[in-house]
Amino acid sequence: MVATRFMELRRRRALMVTLMLVTIALPAGFLAVRLVLHAVAPSTYGPAGGYDVYVSLTAGVMYVFGFIVAATLGCTAGSVDLTDGMFRHLVITGRSRVALYLARIPAGLAIIWSLVAVGFAIVCVVCALSAPTQLNYQGVAVPAGMSEPALQKWAGAHADEVICNFPYNGPIAAAVNCGPGPGGVVVGPGGTGPSAQTTQQLAAMIARQAYPDYARQFVSPSISLMVKTGLWLELEATVGFIVGLGLGSLLGQRTVAVVLMIVLEIILTPIVERAQIPHMGNLQRGIVGVATGQLEPGQLPLALAGGGHDFRITESTTTAVLVIVSWLVVWTALGTWRMATRDA
Amino acid sequence: MSSTDAQWAVETRGLTKRFGDNVAVDGVELLVPRGCAFGYLGPNGAGKTTLIRTLLGLTRADSGTMSLLGYPVPRHRDRALARVGAIVDEPRFHPHLTGRQNLQILAAAREPAARERIGPALARVGIAQRADDRVAKYSMGMRQRLGVAACLLGDPQLLILDEPMNGLDPAGMHQMRDMVRSLVDEGRTVVLSSHLLDEVERTCDAVAIVDRGRVVRQGTIADLLAGTATTLHVDCSDPQAAADLLARSPQVPAATLTGDGLEITLPPQSGRELVADINRRLVDGGVAVYRLQPSQTSLETWFLQVTSRLGDPQ
Repeated sequence: MVATRFMELRRRRALMVTLMLVTIALPAGFLAVRLVLHAVAPSTYGPAGGYDVYVSLTAGVMYVFGFIVAATLGCTAGSVDLTDGMFRHLVITGRSRVALYLARIPAGLAIIWSLVAVGFAIVCVVCALSAPTQLNYQGVAVPAGMSEPALQKWAGAHADEVICNFPYNGPIAAAVNCGPGPGGVVVGPGGTGPSAQTTQQLAAMIARQAYPDYARQFVSPSISLMVKTGLWLELEATVGFIVGLGLGSLLGQRTVAVVLMIVLEIILTPIVERAQIPHMGNLQRGIVGVATGQLEPGQLPLALAGGGHDFRITESTTTAVLVIVSWLVVWTALGTWRMATRDA
Repeated sequence: MSSTDAQWAVETRGLTKRFGDNVAVDGVELLVPRGCAFGYLGPNGAGKTTLIRTLLGLTRADSGTMSLLGYPVPRHRDRALARVGAIVDEPRFHPHLTGRQNLQILAAAREPAARERIGPALARVGIAQRADDRVAKYSMGMRQRLGVAACLLGDPQLLILDEPMNGLDPAGMHQMRDMVRSLVDEGRTVVLSSHLLDEVERTCDAVAIVDRGRVVRQGTIADLLAGTATTLHVDCSDPQAAADLLARSPQVPAATLTGDGLEITLPPQSGRELVADINRRLVDGGVAVYRLQPSQTSLETWFLQVTSRLGDPQ
């Protein structure tokens, strides 16, 4: 039954084309354009990949749209037998309605996991292999991955840039001319600038202070980050599919179910994550998007759903896992119940 | 009528199904013998499809009991339906899949052997050459045939076909009729719900008449029609004189003048002797008799009488 269910979903051409466009063609197309631009005009257009692009595509595009396409697939799988008129044929076979429902889960997940994996693999390959060789840190091109002493030494060699651009809280023993604009430091009275040694020492001090922030920047995503991100995206797709499947079965039709899932992902979840609603904290924590957002790998700010460091609603990992599991169980139960009790 | 579980392909006792205030199936007592073609007749809205849907577990009964092939349903629904094939309403399938692929989905929900029956089922209903075309391109008749093919996947002992002649041209109806008979000849039971009385009369061995959710009559067609009157058409030289002659004989029913002769409604169970007596009286009275034509009340006329629809405006 799983194989035939897979076949039935896979042969919905319009649906499959849409899923592939969003999960694969969209990020692939974006990266392809960047690759071409960098190849044609490297001085104008930076490398196609890198950490920032990786974050945008995964935490932004694939996280949100992966959920939506998975939900669309789930809503379709949950309702299409009824709308196409096949449901009564299946009921007449005598097969358990629960079995008929549950067969859709592995079939649908096989499709959505594959699509997300392919799209994500393309993003990883380009972002890792076409990454810039230097960080753009505070507007300064800085070599990546230096130790603290190495950064201080480098800062000494690029004292003016460091002093004029890096953030610094502390007394300034000397002043350099950073030119007009923000960050500019006026040359001291008398019109003479500080000595080279002084500026080097100041730059090193500033670099030491900025090192913790610098160390969090990456040129390209690490392997462990990519693995965690991949699993996280597949989890989000799983949630989208299972909830969509249950909702599609419950409502008996696809369109309204898809609209509700989009509202959940794009409107409700961002609001719930950012807002502090009095006496509703636990209810907010019960929204599955809040829970999956809590499980995001470190260093991945969510583009639409609030940002990894911008949450006002927080919950522990255990709570987040329980919320996700509950949503999966409850929506599976609802969808199964409706299929079992519906007049065919 | 006594019943033994194994004797009846379908058995219902006091089966009732309501939709709000509307009682669609009202205390139906139905017994379908095994190994026959059984017609389930009724006017539109009589509850035919609702009864079929209830039997198959597509909707729940409100009260009463039922069994299919001796298995009480819904308690042993899986065992019962393993050997039942059915079409309910207009058969619909996934339009983006081929006929064969749709049957593969249904076969996968049945036993493993069902997959091997796909090819033979398609051939039997006559759409093997179109099996790999998408159902969206099928005509209604082809979808009807595909529905019958779906019924055959479980090697059924009982087939329940709701309006199987819908969408079929005369050749298709002929083929369907032949197929139903061949299935019965194989020892299977076929229950046909239809409003095409002529087709039912030609195809079925027994019928049940349902009206307003209740079974009003059931039995073999011959038994049901045996209780009906026969009309004798008399073509003679002087119909008026013939009518006057017969009016003087109390044992002869009253004759009605028609455009080309007389019509005499003979009582049920009346023998050939009455016909011979009528002929003799007319000849002895000097009326030349050209033709005596008895005709049985048709199933359609009888059906309309039984369901009180005779005289209803069209």
